[in-house]
Amino acid sequence: MLETARYEVEKRLLGSLALAGGLAAFAAMMALLAPGLLGEVDMAALAEQLPPAFVAAFDLEQMGTMEGFLAIELYQFLWLIGLGAYVAYVAGGAIAGDVETGRIDTLLAAPISRERLLAENYLALLSPILLANAAVFVAVFAATRFVGEPIAAADLVAVHTLSVPYFLCCGAFGTLASVTAPGRLVAEGVAAGGIVGTFLLETIARSSDLGWLGAVAPMRYYDPTAILTASEYDLAGAGILLVAAAVLLAASAAWFREVDIS
Amino acid sequence: MPAIWTDDLTKYYGDVRGIEDLSLSVEEGEVFGFLGPNGAGKTTAIRTLLGFQSPTRGSATVLGADVEDTDALREARTRVGYLPSEPGFDERVTGRRLLEYHGALRGDTRSDELLELFDPPLSRPVGDYSRGNRQMLAIVLAFMHDPDLLIMDEPTSGLDPLKQERFLEFVRTERERGTTFFFSSHVLSEVRKVCDRVGIIREGHLVEVSTIDSLLDRSGKQVRVTLGDSPDEGAFDLPGAHDVTVGGRTEHEGGDHADGVTTVTFTYTGGYEPLLRALLEHDLRDLSIEEAPLEDVFMRFYDADAEETVERVEAEAEDA
Repeated sequence: MLETARYEVEKRLLGSLALAGGLAAFAAMMALLAPGLLGEVDMAALAEQLPPAFVAAFDLEQMGTMEGFLAIELYQFLWLIGLGAYVAYVAGGAIAGDVETGRIDTLLAAPISRERLLAENYLALLSPILLANAAVFVAVFAATRFVGEPIAAADLVAVHTLSVPYFLCCGAFGTLASVTAPGRLVAEGVAAGGIVGTFLLETIARSSDLGWLGAVAPMRYYDPTAILTASEYDLAGAGILLVAAAVLLAASAAWFREVDIS
Repeated sequence: MPAIWTDDLTKYYGDVRGIEDLSLSVEEGEVFGFLGPNGAGKTTAIRTLLGFQSPTRGSATVLGADVEDTDALREARTRVGYLPSEPGFDERVTGRRLLEYHGALRGDTRSDELLELFDPPLSRPVGDYSRGNRQMLAIVLAFMHDPDLLIMDEPTSGLDPLKQERFLEFVRTERERGTTFFFSSHVLSEVRKVCDRVGIIREGHLVEVSTIDSLLDRSGKQVRVTLGDSPDEGAFDLPGAHDVTVGGRTEHEGGDHADGVTTVTFTYTGGYEPLLRALLEHDLRDLSIEEAPLEDVFMRFYDADAEETVERVEAEAEDA
């Protein structure tokens, strides 16, 4: 049971740990720097000098508090886009890479179905997702308390818990790219580029009349800034992300089941 | 029930032909050699049999399972071992971890015993392996669950001669235990050591299926005679004689009289009596009749034009 998932987790463990450690270090640094920066710079005044559309697009009016600062400096970019694109990239390279090296032949010669192989590869993505969540949670929780500006624990738990459906959706998108793209590089590029691309689309769409366009962007359904600054938990959004992940994964499995492996 | 059975099995990649109308049957307990030059369609046939790709036309079964019935084929694969010609592995993982993983996927009943025969350095990452060590690891993975049917794609490529010999000996022992082999190769001499029957594939088509013995019988003998006289042109136009080459006359100055001999060589597929009668009409000095080299036989089936091609290319190179 789950031999493949276990094997893939082990194989990526070092990478996942390094990633989690790096993100946690960055998070801690931001939290430690925040009080000094916020004390010296009047963020509200700064925001007034910038174009209103720019301020709205990046929620800069929230920058003045610890919650807002971390939401924008950490969660809105490195977390949402960086880790999202990374998860999609890893998923994109998984099956496509195995096909390219011919490793998939030795696996599929064993009595394992292609769907199972795909599902277990997908499950293995939970290891970077969960490790990064745990590490960044601990770093932010500890660092904000250390500098005396604690973030509400419930909000912090929510911002991490609700990120899991989001990353699972990114991973499912990467998996679809992995089985449909003609090669590993293309799959990885489409997967990571897709996440960055939909983020840009959502940002542009929000500030124009074409708001509906951003509906395809997974970031629409997970808003760390709203969670941290207003305690707004978008549970319906999380549900939509999980359904989207399931649909993408089912489509990947259906495709992978039939496709010729060469 | 045959271990492998195909009926008009055809696989096209778009417009490119992989194999076409391949019909063959490999019986249980048999070692079947699947021969052909590179690009003839050997690997295409094997990948289709393993279910890596679906046939364009025709059908095939492996241990009774239809290759297009995904679930049945997966069940059948519990009893199938696959040895690819260039096995792909994770480079950073050690051989031992791979062995453990594959053991979990397909079962491991005899890897300890196999590792005594084929001993890749298990504690090192596979990325550091030599070509031969990779192949040995692949052999252990292919046999570790004690399969009833082995599908092997040029299995000895990358092994040194000693290991090749050990592997072929191992195949012979496994055959005694009743294991069936489907063995693709382009090296006839190794196939000859282990195979009961061979199929020859050329440009996607199966051009011949026969036993090794009958292949040799029909391919004839290599005859070489030394004559004291000068035979006429066409003196050896016997039924069954091919490629007659009459060598130049060699003069020997020795003793009291001048002597000379002519060497004649040809391939002969007829009976001995007419051959000997024809020879005895001449001043026969020396005679040797040998089995035709297997490689020549093989070339006749799949690349009769090889020599012409080489000559043409060389001529063009000289012109250029």
